[in-house]
Amino acid sequence: MEDRPKPKFPAEGQVNLPTESAETGLEFTGYEISADGNYFNQFMHYDQLYRLRHGVNSRFFMELLNGRIFGTRCPRCGDSFVPPRTNCWRLDCRLQPTEWVEFPPTAKVHTWTVAGWSGRSSLKRLPLVLVYAFIGDSKVAIANELHGIEPWQAEFGMPLKVVFRNAGERVGAVTDFWFEPADGWRPPRMNAERKRIKALVEPVYAWVATMK
Amino acid sequence: MTRKVCIIGGATTPFDYGPSGWENPENGAAECVREVQEDVPEFHLRDVDLMVYSHFSVHFAHQLAGEWIVHDHLGLVGLPHFRVENGGNTGGSALYAAALAIMSGHHDVVGIVGWETMDSVSQSQGSEFIAMASDIRYELLVGGIYPIYYAAMANKWMRENRVTEEDVAAIGAKNRNNAMDNPKAQWYRTEHRHITVDDVMGSKLIAYPIKKYDCCLMSRGVAFMVVCTEEYARKVNPDGYVTIDGIGLSSCTIRAGDRPNYPAWAERYGPGYPDMTEFGACRQSADFAYRMAGIDDPLHQIDFGEIHDAFSTSEAQIYKALYLTDTDGVAQFLRDGETELTGSIPMNPGGGLMGYGHPVGATGLMSAVEAYYQLCGMIPKKHLSKRTEVPDAGCGIVNSHAGTGTSISNFILRRCA
Repeated sequence: MEDRPKPKFPAEGQVNLPTESAETGLEFTGYEISADGNYFNQFMHYDQLYRLRHGVNSRFFMELLNGRIFGTRCPRCGDSFVPPRTNCWRLDCRLQPTEWVEFPPTAKVHTWTVAGWSGRSSLKRLPLVLVYAFIGDSKVAIANELHGIEPWQAEFGMPLKVVFRNAGERVGAVTDFWFEPADGWRPPRMNAERKRIKALVEPVYAWVATMK
Repeated sequence: MTRKVCIIGGATTPFDYGPSGWENPENGAAECVREVQEDVPEFHLRDVDLMVYSHFSVHFAHQLAGEWIVHDHLGLVGLPHFRVENGGNTGGSALYAAALAIMSGHHDVVGIVGWETMDSVSQSQGSEFIAMASDIRYELLVGGIYPIYYAAMANKWMRENRVTEEDVAAIGAKNRNNAMDNPKAQWYRTEHRHITVDDVMGSKLIAYPIKKYDCCLMSRGVAFMVVCTEEYARKVNPDGYVTIDGIGLSSCTIRAGDRPNYPAWAERYGPGYPDMTEFGACRQSADFAYRMAGIDDPLHQIDFGEIHDAFSTSEAQIYKALYLTDTDGVAQFLRDGETELTGSIPMNPGGGLMGYGHPVGATGLMSAVEAYYQLCGMIPKKHLSKRTEVPDAGCGIVNSHAGTGTSISNFILRRCA
């Protein structure tokens, strides 16, 4: 195994961390007592700043800052990957290190869903369409949101384009991009299933509108 | 020839969410042990020579190595112990580890305690914690949490298998209604009502095609069971033990999107399997367990199952992975109610994750304990009636499931001869 030079962080002027992201650590902040006086609940607040060291996967995230999708390709078997795999997945390629390659900003839907509930950080974006899509000739599908359509219009196999946030808003994370229908795609006609999905998401719009 | 592995007893606390009186894992574990002591008076904690702890996420309690608190509380200091963590399959994996310990000949009586305390944060924050078992670098915060990943997989599966929302909604209703006979079940203790397919269809959207009543419950709860040699089982509970005749554990990709072309799966089951729709790790772990237990016709050789119904859709997908039906037959299999209490192979008579609850580290053990009760004729004692008893059950399957199908175990249990 060849040694690797140790990276030095950060390069001058290359740290991008808003001050409000600072660690606050652990704190016991309060309590509550049950009506019968027998049970006690303690509130503890915990807020930490994690540094996800991306190491040899760094190219993928750095290129997101540039508005480009980079993945990897195995020089032995030719399989390619977005999300990247830095060693080939074929046992007969014997963990062959892969090479970084740029992928086109086009994709195809493998499967999809319309979410009416999600994690705390995503509630206000509901309802949202999540797709798994193959970017370019990738052998693996990547999950991301599909914007630019009504939720009930998503289709299996639909062609997509990759759309990035404005350059100044990117943070080098998968949330820097999303999918939209490829140019020229036409929404499908309403059918029974799409009417059903529309009826399911209408209360979601109403619920999200009540959120502060 | 390895040694036979037996179960001689088990219990859970009530599963619940929010204030319940069952807040402490260490006290819950002690009460579970006390219940087993009542059921099996000859069992003594002194006989245990290894403890395996089953706990998924330290995020919920913010207590690293919480098993050290439980172990100490049980008075077991000095006894060897370790914790198993394997996502939603933590309980199944702990049982697998305990079985290996017995089979190896190195230990004779192994206690397993599992727990989770998921109500220490809000439901949406809890969902986000669980989503941290996805590949956070590539999947987190693009709108996805587990029900959404599962929904994307199920949407394609249902289309390809011609299964409707109503077909799977019947599973959501079945498991909750089964739980109405089980006083420790969260559904019994909280919403407490019988529901219909229409109730499931009318519940709020989580991620199409999954609605609220297609989803399991987020829970707090503890489970305990004793796994041992047949010699010990015959000594302490000669008429009330089961044998674990088959064990299987398998794995799949962490990111479901990596499955459609995965070379290792193509080598085993041919190109196109499992795609993003089937649970390859469930099929392979069933293959392992069936081979070990001599099962070649599971639909007719297995009498019932306690399986991982994280979602009604995934219970249906599991039926296929376990070879109970196939692409051509699965829709009719569902419509015929084959897994209802009156069907040919009742599934989750104890309520499953949708009815009993899903405190992750305790869940797989809960399934095994319910299967143990069925096989030992203890359902009328543990449930409210005989309604959820599978008559003359001699063979059951226990299934535990993690990630988006990333780790799955299966166990074949049989009533002692």
